[in-house]
Amino acid sequence: MKLRQSEHLFSRAARHAHVRYLLFGLALCLLPALAAAGVMKSAYLINLGGVMIYAVAAMGLNLLLGYSGLISLGTAGFMGLGTYVAGYLFSRADLPVAVSVVAAVVIPTAVGILVGLVSLRISGLYLAIATLCVSEILRKTYEEFDSFTGGFSGLKTGYPVLFGMKLSRESFNTVMFVVLVIALVGVMMLTHNLVSGQLGRALHAMRGSEVAAQAMGVNLLKYRLIAFALATAYAGLAGALYMHFIRYSYPALWTLGLSLNILAVVVIGGLRSIYGTVLGALVVFGVPDLIIKNIPYIKDLPGVSYIFNGILIIVIIMFYPQGITRLFSDLKTLAGKPFGKGARG
Amino acid sequence: MGTLLQLLLRSLETGGIYALAALGIIIIYRTSNITHFAQGAMGMFNAFVVTMLFTRFGLPLWLCTLGGMGTAVLSGFAVDLIIVRHTKKVSPVAKQIITLGLIMVFVGITPMLFGVDPLRLPRFIETGAVALGGASISYNGILNIALGVGIMLALFYVLQNTKLGLAIRTTASNEYTARLMGVPTRRVTLFAWALAAALGCLSGVMIAPVTSVTVNLMDSVQVNALIACVLGGFQTFYGPVLGAYLIGVGNNLLTYYVSSVWGGQILYLLILLFIVFRPQGLVGKKMVKKV
Repeated sequence: MKLRQSEHLFSRAARHAHVRYLLFGLALCLLPALAAAGVMKSAYLINLGGVMIYAVAAMGLNLLLGYSGLISLGTAGFMGLGTYVAGYLFSRADLPVAVSVVAAVVIPTAVGILVGLVSLRISGLYLAIATLCVSEILRKTYEEFDSFTGGFSGLKTGYPVLFGMKLSRESFNTVMFVVLVIALVGVMMLTHNLVSGQLGRALHAMRGSEVAAQAMGVNLLKYRLIAFALATAYAGLAGALYMHFIRYSYPALWTLGLSLNILAVVVIGGLRSIYGTVLGALVVFGVPDLIIKNIPYIKDLPGVSYIFNGILIIVIIMFYPQGITRLFSDLKTLAGKPFGKGARG
Repeated sequence: MGTLLQLLLRSLETGGIYALAALGIIIIYRTSNITHFAQGAMGMFNAFVVTMLFTRFGLPLWLCTLGGMGTAVLSGFAVDLIIVRHTKKVSPVAKQIITLGLIMVFVGITPMLFGVDPLRLPRFIETGAVALGGASISYNGILNIALGVGIMLALFYVLQNTKLGLAIRTTASNEYTARLMGVPTRRVTLFAWALAAALGCLSGVMIAPVTSVTVNLMDSVQVNALIACVLGGFQTFYGPVLGAYLIGVGNNLLTYYVSSVWGGQILYLLILLFIVFRPQGLVGKKMVKKV
């Protein structure tokens, strides 16, 4: 009897969303151990770390696009801003890592709020290209503003100092991987809380009909600004993580191509899906390095990973326009058919 | 005075390159309801075809360009037949991601077929310049300006005064009704993709001599063409063309007279401000949303 009760408690806990996020994070934390044991190439840790960083940025865009229906093509610019602020403060101004990360979140957010003001006047495609305009302004600034960004050749930083210990080359990947997992899980939980609360409902209403939402007392200005602020804060955080993980940032990274890739993550993963965003990031940023480059014969051809990824993206959009999270529910119904036929009636 | 004229002439040249690409984007947008982010990538691919024909087979450049436009038409056909035609049920945002997938495919195929080394493509007319009121312009510049303006005028004539143009305009205004009226919208869309690809190829060939032929050849053209579409408004065909020439002129004037470092940023900032105060673009009509 008692056993069953504890079992019940456990299954209830496991069903709680936040516990699931934590379990997901714990599972990810096992990967460095697998790498250390030699099951997985340790180079994959860097690829997967990159995937998690882009997942954080995409989570912000998912808040913006999925919940409030506003499209931004400026993600790359803001992420770049995050890298440069974090890198400059840490390596040139000798400030602690924590300060550099906070600044890398706050400064892009401030710019993002300004862009949010623009979004009150325009929407849809016009907004997307207006944000592209902002991103291009930022990118050109990275190229020209030598003293801050290092110009075309970029900005390099040393190994970050975390919790009073300077990371060495050996421990760096493992420790930073865990830090990235913590950041990703934190962002997933934060996003979950934000969209399950009043903010989420207000954004839903806005996406459905701005006029109706306004009539219901939703302050459009306030919520659009909040949505933009959150999206850029996430992008800034992703930038800061990128700078401390990859330790090198240069203007050619932060182009329209990256913004489109992050948009692809959101659409492929499925709008308004938190796990989907992570999965989408894995498809867009992980598949080329993790899978395609390991297939014999074709891996030596230049550009082959691009082609495969491009085709993969097109195929997913053509057959699963709602995102690959749909694939799983489809598989579930497919698997459940022989058994669940009677139950469904 | 001479400098100003010189700047304006050069702006007409770059503006024409942006305008050709922008016209491709707007035609695709109006007929297929897709923001064509791969316009630059497809132009880049076909510019590589031109370069290859030129360097490997030593054909005259105009013939190579025609060949490149031929492959451009084929690639446009392929994109529409294999992909775009089957995406009727896909949401507008997801459709944009399809063009992202196209970028990846073309950026991937290019080094596979043509190698990873940057190539050079000469100008149509290598030497010779003409003095014009204190400014000097190369014969090639004149040719580019004439080609840009000529193609634009020819296309607008076709759009306004022929049956094909009428079919395109009807499809652009409402595809469903157009189909009910007996307009072969599928063929119109197919033609639009081929036309857009050919225009992209031409703008690629025009910009190639300025830099070298790499996979990044069309990056700035793509961005400027998209911004030109917003500046001009998506509702008309001539708006984006106007926007493209304005960006060309604005960029040259600002970088010369204001700041060579910050000119580009100032231009984009001004465009941004302009969009805020006139969201529908230069010549667009304001859409009223019904509840």
